[in-house]
Amino acid sequence: MITIQGLRKCFPNGLEVLRGIDLAIGDGEVVSLIGRSGSGKTTLLRCINFLEEYDAGEIRLDGTPLWYRAATGGARTRMPEPAIRALRQQMGIVFQQFNLFPHMTALENVCLGPSFAHKRPEAEVKALAQQLLERVGLGGKMRSYPYQLSGGEQQRVAIARALAMRPKVLLLDEITSALDPELVGEVLEVIRSLVLERMMMVIVTHELRFAREISHRIAYLSRGQITEIGPPGELLDNPQDSTLKEFLRRMP
Amino acid sequence: MRFLNWLAAYGPSYGSGLGWTALIALWASVGAIVWGSVLLLIRLSGRRWVNLAVEGYVQLFRNTPVLLSIYLIYFGFPLIGVVWPAVICGGLALVLQNGAYISEILRGGVKAIDLVQFDAAKSLGLSGWGTFRKVVLPQVLVYALPSLGNQVILLVKDTSLLSAISVAELTMNAKLLTEQTGAAYEAFVVVAVLYLLLVVVLELAARSALRAVRWRPRYDAL
Amino acid sequence: MLRLLLQGAFYTLVLAVAGIAGGTTLGLLLTPLGFLRARPLRAFYHVFIFFTRGTPLLVLALLIFYGLPAMNFSQGPYVAGTIVLTIYSSAFFAEVFRGGVLAIQRTHLESGRSLGLAPLAFLRRIIAPLALRYALPPYVNVCVMMVKASSILSIISVWELTLAAREIIERTLLVFTALGIAAGLYFIMCFGVDRLGRRVERHLMRRGFVGERV
Repeated sequence: MITIQGLRKCFPNGLEVLRGIDLAIGDGEVVSLIGRSGSGKTTLLRCINFLEEYDAGEIRLDGTPLWYRAATGGARTRMPEPAIRALRQQMGIVFQQFNLFPHMTALENVCLGPSFAHKRPEAEVKALAQQLLERVGLGGKMRSYPYQLSGGEQQRVAIARALAMRPKVLLLDEITSALDPELVGEVLEVIRSLVLERMMMVIVTHELRFAREISHRIAYLSRGQITEIGPPGELLDNPQDSTLKEFLRRMP
Repeated sequence: MRFLNWLAAYGPSYGSGLGWTALIALWASVGAIVWGSVLLLIRLSGRRWVNLAVEGYVQLFRNTPVLLSIYLIYFGFPLIGVVWPAVICGGLALVLQNGAYISEILRGGVKAIDLVQFDAAKSLGLSGWGTFRKVVLPQVLVYALPSLGNQVILLVKDTSLLSAISVAELTMNAKLLTEQTGAAYEAFVVVAVLYLLLVVVLELAARSALRAVRWRPRYDAL
Repeated sequence: MLRLLLQGAFYTLVLAVAGIAGGTTLGLLLTPLGFLRARPLRAFYHVFIFFTRGTPLLVLALLIFYGLPAMNFSQGPYVAGTIVLTIYSSAFFAEVFRGGVLAIQRTHLESGRSLGLAPLAFLRRIIAPLALRYALPPYVNVCVMMVKASSILSIISVWELTLAAREIIERTLLVFTALGIAAGLYFIMCFGVDRLGRRVERHLMRRGFVGERV
């Protein structure tokens, strides 16, 4: 389980993107983050994976504090780089723009993480990658390069690549925003199957219908704070916060 | 006929010149690639004033003739107490000049890599060295190799300028032969052909190098 | 000393301009050969380009410098120097122009053809302006290259900036001053040519050409 306490972050230009985030996500739980662009939801997700540093607060994974160590006098220091890498390998993240490596085939993209991180024998890594690619419905495209794949297929490779780390949590950052509408379905189908496997997931999304369908809880972010959180039915059908009401009115 | 006679008589005497040209070209291109990479690394990781200095260096060498740098080192170094053989001075000038170009070429290659890939590499837990080896290098090589090959060919052609400081390479060889034999242009026709051969060899080498670094599937799928 | 170097810079500029003008003309004459159906002419084009670009400028210069008198054509170093630069740069310019034509998209050619223009009008109205917009940035690069390349003529005793600097060095041993000023003058000239090229590009852009810098 992941617990986030008092997370704060300022951009170098002084803008405060996260202003005290508290959130706990249980094992097997799916939490969606919604909110206007600029509300800080993507930044929050990136902080969890430490792709962004944060100024204050604490993130724990199964009770272990992540990324920073407390130093004397209330200060804190970054963990050493190898420790950070080891912790990152317990999480998977999927990006809006897929971020596949263009010089590697689908199979190599999926193999890269585990072969590098876990130092497993090549045959084992390859078998795992093949199994994952088949799972996301790309058994026939293992030798294809990203430019030979459609957006939906690339995104499914990216999901398989994240799963190859055998992560405790999967972070999804607007994974369907860059896709043509007719390709969204195949990607969401893969996510649905992960919910059934009780994979812990944090999802940043604009697809409210999908968020309602798969999330256990939805959190609404406004100006760097979670102003409302609850089960989809309550939050979407009976919003309390006035900005959330406004937000929902404008969504289709 | 006259030309063939000439070739039969003096052809073998080009051997040493060709050897020197090849040697200078080899060490200067290796040096230029190393120096260009160093400049790039400084530029990628440096502070602002360091960047500015490297930028100025690159612009200076891009906008002045090589011959000037050759003279500067050959005539200038003895004045500050550094007396090196002409081959070293000339080669050093080629390294400094071409290093500036090569750092630009490599920078173009690095810039062609989409920045978001570094996020992906981080999230997979790759180390800095791992990211360089698995993500950056294979892409930069493919993006930059064609221009790099061209630059090395230009460098080889520029080794002829070392004759101006009496390095006994191919062009100097031909000049001396012309003076010895009084032949008008035969000596230079042979030299031109030898340079063309070198260029062809380099082009073939560049092509096979490109084939070697081309992306190809590494794991055979079932 | 400064006067001597400035004089040298003037001669460098004259040589470069003459070489660029000559090379552009010769290049423009050569480019069509690369597109002709007749195989011998196309082969001639490629062989000429290969020889001229594959040989060091100095070797080409020495060839012409020693070769012209042998053909009983002797007009002094400046004429020889201009001929050298003209021939050398023509190969680069021809390839730049050919690249410009090749960069034109097929759709543009097809829509041009659909207008039913006569061949010459087609060349003048469609191909030339489109090729120009692709060829201009590399054209400027070759021009800068020629300013620098003219220094090589000093070796065949064409008196210009580099030779002026060498003479000063041999007389006064002021190596760093002479070469420093010479480098500064070259820098100004090369940078000036580059800036001028960009200005022309911008000017054309305002008139509807969209240049693409590589």
